[in-house]
Amino acid sequence: MNRYDLAQIAEGMKASFEVQLTQEMMAAFRSITGDENPLHCDKEYAKAAGYPNTVAYGMLTASFFSTLVGMYLPGEKALFQSADVSFLAPVFPGQILRVLGEVSYINQAYGQIEIKAQVLNEADEKVAKAKLKVGVRSETGTRA
Amino acid sequence: MESIEEIQSRLQEVFRDIFDDQAIVLFREMTAKDIEDWDSLTHINLVVAVEKEFGLKFNLTEIKGLKNVGEMIDLLARRLSIK
Repeated sequence: MNRYDLAQIAEGMKASFEVQLTQEMMAAFRSITGDENPLHCDKEYAKAAGYPNTVAYGMLTASFFSTLVGMYLPGEKALFQSADVSFLAPVFPGQILRVLGEVSYINQAYGQIEIKAQVLNEADEKVAKAKLKVGVRSETGTRA
Repeated sequence: MESIEEIQSRLQEVFRDIFDDQAIVLFREMTAKDIEDWDSLTHINLVVAVEKEFGLKFNLTEIKGLKNVGEMIDLLARRLSIK
């Protein structure tokens, strides 16, 4: 886990990691949320709808922005404040995703960073993008 | 150098964009109590949007001391005249 302070963060700073979206993750998400939509749960239903497999929950893909912020950028001192997410292409269980983020703006007064983030599939296609706003806790706590 | 009226006009557009409300009309005594969605997080969004619009960065002391929109306009006028 990274532990960046605001002073250690600069505009243009990047972080990335890879994660495989698994059936186990799909089942856990289904259990947590109660989202039983057959597009995510029923392979035959998804195929009849024109997909090669069940479609991954968009918010499951988006959950990896939490990993990006909480573990990598800024890491431990993160206070996730907002996420404006768009789902650009379907994701399927089994795919390996690359999650990337770049600091696009720093507000010194309130200790907040803006991150432009995206998720790419194995073919390097953008499947999700987001603008994230993250507070960075100081020694004396958040200024927000 | 920009006049106070021009600064207020630009600031008003920022408010209208952040709060997604074209009906907002700024007045000097305006505070967060005058706009329903003006909470702590939208306040940060507002400050960031003002920084980007006017091309400057505030420090916490400057921002915390502001009592109303009129004082923000005065702060912008001071900062822009120094640029």
